[in-house]
Amino acid sequence: MSNDAGKAHLDCYLDQVRRNLKVLPSGEVEEIVAELRSHVLDKVEGTPTPERVEAAIAALGSPREVARLNLTERVAAEVDEDRSPLTVLRGVGRLAGLSMYGAFTGLVCFVGYATAAAFLITAVVKPFAWRHTGLWRIPNAENSYSWMLGVTDNPRHGQELLGGWIIPISLAAGLILGWLTWRFGLFSVRRMRRSARRGRA
Amino acid sequence: MSVKPDSPADELGKWETQVRKGGLGLAVLAILWPERLYGLEILRRLDAQAGMSIPEGTIYPLLSRMKSEGLVDSEWVEAEAGHPRKYYRLTDPGRRRVREMAQSWRAFAAGLERLLAPIKETSR
Repeated sequence: MSNDAGKAHLDCYLDQVRRNLKVLPSGEVEEIVAELRSHVLDKVEGTPTPERVEAAIAALGSPREVARLNLTERVAAEVDEDRSPLTVLRGVGRLAGLSMYGAFTGLVCFVGYATAAAFLITAVVKPFAWRHTGLWRIPNAENSYSWMLGVTDNPRHGQELLGGWIIPISLAAGLILGWLTWRFGLFSVRRMRRSARRGRA
Repeated sequence: MSVKPDSPADELGKWETQVRKGGLGLAVLAILWPERLYGLEILRRLDAQAGMSIPEGTIYPLLSRMKSEGLVDSEWVEAEAGHPRKYYRLTDPGRRRVREMAQSWRAFAAGLERLLAPIKETSR
């Protein structure tokens, strides 16, 4: 009876670890969970009383800590192996739920890549839709203006400011912003790995 | 708001942690040199043979990284204990790496030892 309670306690702990790892492929999650189960059963040396299970679990760390360590190591290893912007963005997305810093990084990278993409699309589309593409200054009521970058259906509403210069300027802005976002994503993933390791040092 | 400076004992503790962390990868690979082992066994040997007591949750992400780098391989084995265990063993690239790391570590330790020779444990 006591051993059943211990095993139930272990299952509950492993379910929480599983939930915290849900952004990983299910095969990897089950591998991690199976190894943790094996570790705890070895620690309790055949007698999984609730007290022994609790002591073994405490030595491993909370489900969130265990998930954080495993997740950051795996994501950082993926990013070390393939540093492409897409891999970095995917990695940052996986780590976004772990901490405030992770969420902040995810937001910055999403906005950074989206803005870089908007600049690049503008530069590419301009030669094909010359009058409809550019940086627009649109007059509002009360002598104020609003700004718009990209493609518009109705160019008469505003004044286009850059003409052909929009192509090199957008190209440069898109590439620089994309590069900065990529570097920030790389830096953040490695920082989160260092932070996770320090947390359990 | 003022920040209290660390005591000398805290500083020493931090330095020791850094040194141990630096040698952890080599220690894990070296422990796997003679035979395959599972995670808890690695932790126990690190503690018993090298005095390296590390948080238990850190060993599996470390082994996973070593596996993704091709330094170790793993397999599940049905154990007498009644549950399967995941055993790790060195791969050929892992053996080459641990040899190189050991060589580098010995050269570093020998140099440091020469510098430390004039310092006696009893000196104040």
